[in-house]
Amino acid sequence: MKRLWKLNQKRRRKLLSNPYIPMLTTVKDIISENKLNDIKTLDLIFKNEEDYKGFQYIPGQFAEISLIGKGECPIGIASSPTEEGSIKFTIKKMGTVTSGFHNCEVGDTVGIRGPCGNGWPIEEMKGKNIVVIGGGFAFSTLRSLIIYILDDRHRKDYKNITLVYGNRDSGEVLYQSDLEDWKKRDDINVILTIDREEEGWSDKVGFVAPVVKEIAPSPDDAIAVVCGPPIMIKTTIAVLEELKFKAEQILNSLEMRMKCGIGKCGRCNIGNKYVCIDGPVFSLAELKKMPSEY
Amino acid sequence: MEQKILKKDQIVKLYNHIVKDYNFYAPIKEKRNITFKKITNPEDIVLDYYNSKVPPKEIIFPQTDILFEYKINGKEIEIEEPKNLEEKNIIFGIRPCDAHSFVLLANFFSQGEFNDEIIMKRRENTTLIGIGCNTPKSTCFCTSVDGNPFQKEDMDIFLVDLQDKYLVEGITNKGKDLIKQFSWLANATESDLKEAQKLKKHAEDAIVTKLELKDIDKILDPNFEHPVWKEASEICIGCGTCSFLCPTCTCFDVIDENVPNENRGRRVRIWDTCQSCLYTLHTSGHNPRNSCIERVRNRILHKFCYYPKNYGMLGCVGCGRCVQLCPANNDLRVIIEKIMEIKPKKEEKITV
Repeated sequence: MKRLWKLNQKRRRKLLSNPYIPMLTTVKDIISENKLNDIKTLDLIFKNEEDYKGFQYIPGQFAEISLIGKGECPIGIASSPTEEGSIKFTIKKMGTVTSGFHNCEVGDTVGIRGPCGNGWPIEEMKGKNIVVIGGGFAFSTLRSLIIYILDDRHRKDYKNITLVYGNRDSGEVLYQSDLEDWKKRDDINVILTIDREEEGWSDKVGFVAPVVKEIAPSPDDAIAVVCGPPIMIKTTIAVLEELKFKAEQILNSLEMRMKCGIGKCGRCNIGNKYVCIDGPVFSLAELKKMPSEY
Repeated sequence: MEQKILKKDQIVKLYNHIVKDYNFYAPIKEKRNITFKKITNPEDIVLDYYNSKVPPKEIIFPQTDILFEYKINGKEIEIEEPKNLEEKNIIFGIRPCDAHSFVLLANFFSQGEFNDEIIMKRRENTTLIGIGCNTPKSTCFCTSVDGNPFQKEDMDIFLVDLQDKYLVEGITNKGKDLIKQFSWLANATESDLKEAQKLKKHAEDAIVTKLELKDIDKILDPNFEHPVWKEASEICIGCGTCSFLCPTCTCFDVIDENVPNENRGRRVRIWDTCQSCLYTLHTSGHNPRNSCIERVRNRILHKFCYYPKNYGMLGCVGCGRCVQLCPANNDLRVIIEKIMEIKPKKEEKITV
């Protein structure tokens, strides 16, 4: 996987000698993802075919996307490389730049630099049972991973897939149409949960960690991928360790404040590692060796 | 390589020769501080200075650096590459510590998959004509961090101030080729070389701070939670002077600057400091380095633990700016001494 990534970077470098200049894309579609309407997915098409060909990514990577004149921010890629033609980013409205994205209209220009980061280790995960555990809004790169694995070209490479996806309430559940599709399939076990009981909710109720404990995925030949708010990660990892998952079998994707995405602006370091180039995906075993400054 | 002699009154001649092809940066006095500026009058050059307040790194890594310029026409956007990267620069009169910082900067900005083309291009087009320090200050500690007041390896041409003249030595091929253009330079005599040796010895002896830094990265590594960090940050006011004026600090912020009432602007990077709270503050409100303790720790660890781990050399050049200019007198040398004291305690524990 690493080698593939390096090749991609080389190809990219040929296209862009100045690594801070974004490639330009056009907004093709904007989808509101939740009831509160503060999370939207932007579907982007590259203006230049060459740029798109050079943008070879794997699930779990992110990109620096920008509104020229407003600023730039790092966002996980929500689409899978198997969904050809465009790339998607799911963005929560928080500050100047993200609000700018929320005010975007179809046809607006968005800058992209990337792909950045290492992504999920899709090669090492081959032949394994995959347990995907997500909480809340941090689900975009997990969507990318699941779409990638469920693709006809890749499904045979992976064994059983279990998805546990928790949210505060039913209005916050992202990617509803994808979840509908996955529920219809028999090669992925989809378990949804919300924090409190709600009328018309037929799935589980409760926090993610106890739900994981209840379904008790087997650690044999398995990899657990955990993404979510810090408290959810903490409690879920405790449950997984209880279930005898080894630290090498638990993968996390970290978030950090970033500016450049290419290991130069300095702020995303944890010890001598930079989340933007050495991560954002780290196994729990790797994290245990690093200072707990994240 | 034989050494040459440049008489002090020949600097104007040297300047007039060089300025035809190069931007000539030299230390000048401005607002009571020494600063490196692109000069137009060689009479302004000050060479008997201690060191500049702002390190000359700003010539290849300016405080505000244009990444690109843009024009917005409705939904269409035009992007323009930064200009003037091909211009050739001479930095005249740079000190050995600052010249060494250019090596550290180049290591960092060229490392990994991503080469910072903007800075590396400027570095390639820059020639360093440095000068040895005859009279180091009390805050200097370059000899403790693998440096020397007469270290010439990091420069293209090295000068030694011999009172009424300069001893000139070409170090790199770039420097030697440049010297060849100055056929009017006299040859140095045996006594000039001896005099330079004497000055070197004298300067080394003048550096009173001797810090023991052996294996500091190995001491720092397991002591991330050590109480020394609370002690080291107690008087820090988080102003960031130490890192803004550090010749080896590389952190930057990126923002878009729009020209008011016009549909154009530029994306710039601006020096940033890890001593600021905003530096690591997440959008969610979470901050991995929430207090001065973590921020001071990060600065010291970056120079003395992380940089050595990534590049096999210390991330400090011993210029003493952070010591001299800290408004709260938080002395890096004292912090290092405290860190080095951790070692025996650990050994004691093992023997017990």
